[in-house]
Amino acid sequence: MEVVPNKDPQLKTTKPPKSMSPWAMARRKFMKNKLAMISLVYLIILAILSFLAPYITTVDISRVNIGQMKLPPSSEHWFGTDTSGRDVFVRLLYGGRVSLFVGISCTMIILLLGVIVGAIAGFFGGIVDSMLMRFTDFVLNFPFLVFVIVLNAILFGKVGGVGVLIGVISLLGWGGVARLVRSKILSEKENEYVLAATSIGGRPNKVIMKHLLPNVLTTVIVQATILFANMIVAESALSYLGFGVPQEVPSWGNMLSASQQPEVLQDMPWIWVPPAVILVFTILAINFIGEGVKDAFNPKSFR
Amino acid sequence: MLKYTLRRLLGMIPMLLLISIVVFFLALAMPGDPFSGEIDPNNTDPEYIEEMREKLGYNDPIHVQYYDWITGFVQGDFGKSVKYKIPVSDLVAQRLPNTLFLGIMSLVITYCFAFAMGMTAGRRPYTKLDHFIGGFNYMMLAIPSYIAGVFAIYFFSFQLGWFPFNGSVNIAVDEGTLDWWLSKVYHTFLPALVLGAMGTASYTQFLRNDIIDNSNKDFVRTARAKGTPESRIYNHHILRNSVIPLITFLGFDLVSLVNGALITETIFTYPGLGQLFLTSVQASDYPTLMTLTLMFSFIVLIGNLIADILYGIVDPRIRID
Repeated sequence: MEVVPNKDPQLKTTKPPKSMSPWAMARRKFMKNKLAMISLVYLIILAILSFLAPYITTVDISRVNIGQMKLPPSSEHWFGTDTSGRDVFVRLLYGGRVSLFVGISCTMIILLLGVIVGAIAGFFGGIVDSMLMRFTDFVLNFPFLVFVIVLNAILFGKVGGVGVLIGVISLLGWGGVARLVRSKILSEKENEYVLAATSIGGRPNKVIMKHLLPNVLTTVIVQATILFANMIVAESALSYLGFGVPQEVPSWGNMLSASQQPEVLQDMPWIWVPPAVILVFTILAINFIGEGVKDAFNPKSFR
Repeated sequence: MLKYTLRRLLGMIPMLLLISIVVFFLALAMPGDPFSGEIDPNNTDPEYIEEMREKLGYNDPIHVQYYDWITGFVQGDFGKSVKYKIPVSDLVAQRLPNTLFLGIMSLVITYCFAFAMGMTAGRRPYTKLDHFIGGFNYMMLAIPSYIAGVFAIYFFSFQLGWFPFNGSVNIAVDEGTLDWWLSKVYHTFLPALVLGAMGTASYTQFLRNDIIDNSNKDFVRTARAKGTPESRIYNHHILRNSVIPLITFLGFDLVSLVNGALITETIFTYPGLGQLFLTSVQASDYPTLMTLTLMFSFIVLIGNLIADILYGIVDPRIRID
């Protein structure tokens, strides 16, 4: 059971001016967590480098260069070149762009869908709740990877590449968040302040948005970090299998799929090791940040 | 308990129907004819094709097509594979044992490693060994299974040459002999290890935490007070209590095995259902694709059902709802 943090804004004014809001306390606790801070810095640097990739390098990533195929790392090509003569380092930057973008977009859409469905189901209860939850169960019962692949196969070619992937992943992935948010709202709405807000005539959407959601926000934030990591893994796994972002778009998963050729796997580790390592580091970093956030919002932990 | 189980079982039926309808419409939405395996591809005479389409029921209304398909499916008639030109049921029968073998072996490996590590860490909490095991598990949870698979092939197959990197058995050995089984185990070990890695990590951490929780309880103090040897306390009194919540993971294992099999079988070119699924998507082999999609959905459904029922057994409060 999570202890409800008291972040009633009214309390702040009655206390001496120096006492901190729960958010400030959480922020300070998070800043003290070295592992989480290092991870955050790593992620920020990675994100900046990736999103600025077109401005940092002028190398054309889409051009196949037959003269420079399969070169080992050198001062000219930091991580060597791949089987089509493209610079691995530059592709890594561009790959981060796609992988992080897909991860962030999927997380956002899933959170939005999950929170809306979960909050409505939890707040209204009764028949609305059971209908929405049956539907959630229905979505949760699909094997995720299998259906993403099938849907991708159907939609592919009809609509744009990366967008399809984001849409399909989000459409199949929101069930878990909805369940979680619903259970949180269910326990939260028993509190008197919700009754008070409703009894002075607050409309349901107002009560949910203004009173209930801020109190389940910590859970949602922690869930968001887990989701973000999972979505990056999902994207790269699908791309690795050849059902993710289109082959010509560099993403970490697409770069890794080169390792399916035995000679690349055996003799040219510089092609597949960098994306693998950076992917693992990114996921570790996100996990550490998640742990840090969870810890920072937990009033019981004093570390 | 019986009532709870029955209610869950009955709740599954509409879910099964809905999923089968979704799969059917997905297949209809795919480019090309969903059941074209029966038509002879060399005969392009429009009259012949039209005749075959009529005979195979393409011109029937959609609900009739669905009814034909689902009644066939229930009776084990899955249609004929476009790519392999044999009934899908034969194809599945060929591949299913491999996937089952992989799944069972990965479960066995998961349990062996998880129990060994969990019990070691739980008995010596907050020591160096515990932190090492904890850190190791953290890594295993963070590394996506296909990256683990790629690294495993690189180190164990290519660099060290300990394990083969593809296939499920040595073809030169006669089927059914002891050598054949040994070769199967040998070929399956590495994929099974990779497939079980994530499960192993979560099992281990769960077991460790539960053992630590239990070791502060009164029954352990009683056992200590009457002079029970420490190893017996841990291996007998505590372990028995800590294993009970663990069984609820079994249902979710089934679900993660479905997702994992897709990836692991592809990396290790292991001839199982997951690999069959991916090749059928690539080859637009609709009869196979539909059968496998539906089968995977059923497995997930059954996995969730088992998890629900086991939860009900372990925690009686859940049964009332």
